[in-house]
Amino acid sequence: MSYVWQWQLVWDFRGVFIRGAEITATLTFWSLIMGVVLGLVLGMMRSSRLAVLRVPAAVYIDTFRATPILVQLVWIYYALPIVLGVQMGNITAAVVGIGLHEAAYIAEIFRAGIESIDRGQSDAAKSLGMSYGQAMRRIILPQAVRRMVPPFINEFATLMKLTTLGSVLAVNELLHEAENLINNTYRPLEIYTTVALVFGLLIYPFIWLSQRLERRWKQHK
Amino acid sequence: MTETPLIRVRDLRKTFGKLEVLRGVSFDVQRGEVMAIIGPSGSGKSTLLRCLNFLEEYEAGEVLFDSTLVGYRKDAAGRLRPDSERNIRRVRARMGMVFQSFNLFPHKTVLENVTEGPVIVQRAPRAEAEERARALIARVGLTDKLATYPPQLSGGQQQRAAIARALAMQPDAMLFDEPTSALDPELVGEVLDVMRTLANEGMTMVVVTHEMGFARQVADRVMMMDRGEIVELAPPNQIFGAPSSPRTAEFLRRVVH
Repeated sequence: MSYVWQWQLVWDFRGVFIRGAEITATLTFWSLIMGVVLGLVLGMMRSSRLAVLRVPAAVYIDTFRATPILVQLVWIYYALPIVLGVQMGNITAAVVGIGLHEAAYIAEIFRAGIESIDRGQSDAAKSLGMSYGQAMRRIILPQAVRRMVPPFINEFATLMKLTTLGSVLAVNELLHEAENLINNTYRPLEIYTTVALVFGLLIYPFIWLSQRLERRWKQHK
Repeated sequence: MTETPLIRVRDLRKTFGKLEVLRGVSFDVQRGEVMAIIGPSGSGKSTLLRCLNFLEEYEAGEVLFDSTLVGYRKDAAGRLRPDSERNIRRVRARMGMVFQSFNLFPHKTVLENVTEGPVIVQRAPRAEAEERARALIARVGLTDKLATYPPQLSGGQQQRAAIARALAMQPDAMLFDEPTSALDPELVGEVLDVMRTLANEGMTMVVVTHEMGFARQVADRVMMMDRGEIVELAPPNQIFGAPSSPRTAEFLRRVVH
């Protein structure tokens, strides 16, 4: 007996995929903002000369990288209310959890980017009388950002796929919606394939953009 | 003459871990003077130069620039306390620095490199800064490279642009850290020419160099360093003609041949 593909079913339930994709995009957007802002701060702290800044950042980064995000999510949603009395909605909890987790990775991208810039650049900036902030903003970061784009896009793709863990907190993101649909239709192959396709459509434009940017900056040099 | 020196260094000491890089260095640089610093590698020349504008922190002794202590202030008991970032930046901006590896900003054009300091640090109006930058860039012979990015320039052109960038801050003194050591031999001359012109115009200069010809012709005094100490500090004709220290004689014999 050969398998009969039923793609019509996907089309009939397109609303489910669109709704799921919207939630996935929302989760991605807000956790990305959180991860980038917090990651920038942590990354700068991590490359600071002052131990009071560097050590806490290092502890944070290592803790979040060394433990499973699934546990982190569960902890934030179920344990924080007990320990701190902080109760968040499931979408907020998912955004916070993924954002906190990603911040640790993004911090490392920032740190590596900053540290990859030759020390002579900051010497030159200092010799002109620039402050640390001016040197960072005008000289170091503009060069570092170019080197950060490829690993950053990588991380972005990872982050978007991590949002599927929101299903643990019953967030109706794409995968969660798809699994509900599978339970009702028993068509996992069509539905999972469609999920993959939707993720690809969401992520690919950014990969394409990053490659274009890289090429442009290369010509610039 | 009792004029106060522009740069005064007293018993300067610096260690890297257990290694004593500077072991009590004292000297003065007068306004308008050109001082060349020579000596074997690892003798502490570059570290000394970097202490003058506090790119390198020193641990003991003092550096005075125009009678202002650099990097520290003295408390009531006369002990050295770290100075505020602000004061350090202010005194730094009065000394231009030129590096062995140029250190131009690769993401900025030649013109932007030269206007960066005046616009960002001195808050000069952009139009005014650009006008001055163009004049400086013309002086170092790079007018046709205004809109070029540093990676597309030759080493000699990059170093000339770096000199213009430092001059744009209208410094009272210029520090050169082996400015021609990273250059192909045929490009050394164009950079030395710019430096010679600057010296003739009366700029106070401290130049760490391996170019003995330049030291001999342009410097008012030459400092010979070895193992973190000044071996000899004298006018070039004495250093090169009749060195009083056997270590100087030995070093010169090795570099000249």
